[in-house]
Amino acid sequence: MTITRGEIRNLLKGLAFLSPWLVGFAAFMCLPIVLSLYYSLCDYDLLQRPVFIGMDNYRALVNDAVFWRSLRVTLLYAAISVPMAMLVSIGVALLLNVKLRAQSIFRTLVFLPSLVPTVASAMLWKWMFNQRLGLINRVLSPLLGWLHKPAPPWLDQSNWVVPSLALMGVWSVGNTVIIYLAGLQDVPRELYEAAELDGAGPARRLWHVTIPMISPVIFFNLIMAIIGILQVFDTPFMMTKGGPNRASYFYTYYLYDNAFTNLQMGYASAMAWIQLLLVLALTGIAFWSSKRWVHYQGK
Amino acid sequence: MAIGALSVLIFGPRSEPSLPPGRRDYLVLHYWEKWVGKEEEAMQQIVDDFNNTIGAKKHIYVEMMSMSDIDQKTLVATAGGVPPDIAGLWDPMVVQFGSLNALEPLEDLAKAHGISKGYYQPVFWNGCHFNGHLYALVSTPAAVALFYNTRIFHENAAKLRAAGLDPDRAPQSIDELDRYSNVLTQFVTDSQGQRQVRRAGYMPMPPDYDWYITSIPLWFGAEEWDPVARRFNLTDPAVLRAFDWLQSFPRKLGKSAVSEFSTSQGGFNSPQNAFIAGTLTMEMQGPWMANFIHINRPSMDHDWAAAPFPTAVPGLRDVTYCPFDALMIPRGCRHVAEAFEFIAFVNQQDEMEKLCMLHCKNSPLTNVSWNFLHHHPNPYIGVFQELSASPNAHMTMQCPVAQVAGAELTAIVQGVLAMELDPKASLQRAQVRLQAKYEEFETNLQRRMRTQ
Repeated sequence: MTITRGEIRNLLKGLAFLSPWLVGFAAFMCLPIVLSLYYSLCDYDLLQRPVFIGMDNYRALVNDAVFWRSLRVTLLYAAISVPMAMLVSIGVALLLNVKLRAQSIFRTLVFLPSLVPTVASAMLWKWMFNQRLGLINRVLSPLLGWLHKPAPPWLDQSNWVVPSLALMGVWSVGNTVIIYLAGLQDVPRELYEAAELDGAGPARRLWHVTIPMISPVIFFNLIMAIIGILQVFDTPFMMTKGGPNRASYFYTYYLYDNAFTNLQMGYASAMAWIQLLLVLALTGIAFWSSKRWVHYQGK
Repeated sequence: MAIGALSVLIFGPRSEPSLPPGRRDYLVLHYWEKWVGKEEEAMQQIVDDFNNTIGAKKHIYVEMMSMSDIDQKTLVATAGGVPPDIAGLWDPMVVQFGSLNALEPLEDLAKAHGISKGYYQPVFWNGCHFNGHLYALVSTPAAVALFYNTRIFHENAAKLRAAGLDPDRAPQSIDELDRYSNVLTQFVTDSQGQRQVRRAGYMPMPPDYDWYITSIPLWFGAEEWDPVARRFNLTDPAVLRAFDWLQSFPRKLGKSAVSEFSTSQGGFNSPQNAFIAGTLTMEMQGPWMANFIHINRPSMDHDWAAAPFPTAVPGLRDVTYCPFDALMIPRGCRHVAEAFEFIAFVNQQDEMEKLCMLHCKNSPLTNVSWNFLHHHPNPYIGVFQELSASPNAHMTMQCPVAQVAGAELTAIVQGVLAMELDPKASLQRAQVRLQAKYEEFETNLQRRMRTQ
């Protein structure tokens, strides 16, 4: 098969139009990724030439108590945040899928917080979580008084801070809700009708029809949540500075500090590669388990 | 298309500084500074003074640009070979950047401009040096002292006298500070039946609110880093006493009292600042506090005083911690001599005093004018001048891993105040970790020097 001159011209034109992206991808994604792998094997402070030190950075990480602490904090956050956000977003999507008069208004209201910049929402929530003056404790005040319990120190005590940040994450589930909503609207009506004829009530219809039918969407959101949550940085950076007592010192925050505050770019690169492997491992587990619980239409 | 776009990026037009008419042929110096708002405006006045005098004479034009995260941006720009000519950083960078050979040494230029040891108070002159090199000169300094609310002292004069304390002066030892604090602290019971601190006499708070609390061992007669032995001193009994003292507050007042009191404060520069609001009677702060009191609650202008923060060691007096903002020339700057002209200009006594008065700070210089002492916005500036000139004035720890140490000590203070950490065990762990970090830094440095 020969390629005509016109086809070559078209190919070149296509590549020319694609070239800004290709060059950008090569220069700003591929090259840094390859370099970070090399730097992870180097002692590199950004200012002087990197010196190859083999696996020393990885060995040092194994003995770094703060590394393990930041990893624990991140995994704890993921363990609380991923299921909580999924349950809430599925629940909200189910409610928004109900035919109501002001449906579009409710949908807009749920989506609205996703449009608020992270900095603004972090500042807002910092005040809402304030132990003495915050809105949340003010609202809870009568209940707490009745129970004779002190106001929760949301961001000010180690055992409270991660659940508080996870709770805050629920506020911005609007994007996920929209994806679930699209999935819910794709569930064939005849399946519900058949289930109803078989005598299934709302709970059984949800469990046996809705959930299996939107399982690919759940799976997609799970993967995105794993990737996103293991990289969480901006909220603790703005709200808690990793405190108190490093209880919200997330993995990416420690990575950032090593790179730009402690000037240990090699060490930070090693952390980045471990993070990538962790994301790959967790994603791999999710894919492996998906054979048991994700059902694709037509299969 | 991509080649075209790259060509425009590399060879295309550059943004030109907005040079005033008649100065098109001037050498433009790029000066990066961290300050914003009033502090930036004050520095701009000094920049304008330079541009209109020495700059005009020597055909140099300084263009100041204010930015956030200036240390990281300076670092990245230096690594990329396009640093600013002058960077307005902080004192810890003298050691951190200096040890990485990221700064131009300035000793020869300083000598040529007649700037020498005797010109500066020792704590600042020493703080500008590392490994025998002068890497910075001060832009504005600080010295911390005890601020106390004289109105609250006088309102509680009878109670203070009954406790054997003088309401007309500040406490002079840590023991006295505790006794004053016990008398002046008031509680209230909230709707949940929990006891809250309504007004504190003194209250140590996490570093977000109590900026210099990690340096508290200085007032107990210990330094956390020994620059001669190049060792951390965190297991020194005096350091432990200091952290034990911090933990005595949550022990006395209740576990959540400290955190609740801390977080109920508004921003530092706001009427909700606990000292300004009158809910905190004594605190450790720098001289600029006078400015913030005046801005946020002018009615309090005559209701406070400043004195040396008391110590826990009999006979140890006038202890202070002196952090400072510094002007440095990053390595790779193409106009070192011209950049130093500006730095030397800022360090002229008249310009330095002007800037320090505008920032409401003390002067780092040995000689201070009558005008500075008598027209300074902080009426107690003499206290701060004496403190920074004291032999017990301490600079920021001159340790290349000071940033790591700062983070570690911050976490310990937070944990100690929240009663989550035992001071002794946590300081022992930190000693091992930080010493290992320092030794790793030294090993890496030696290896780099061998290979490069």
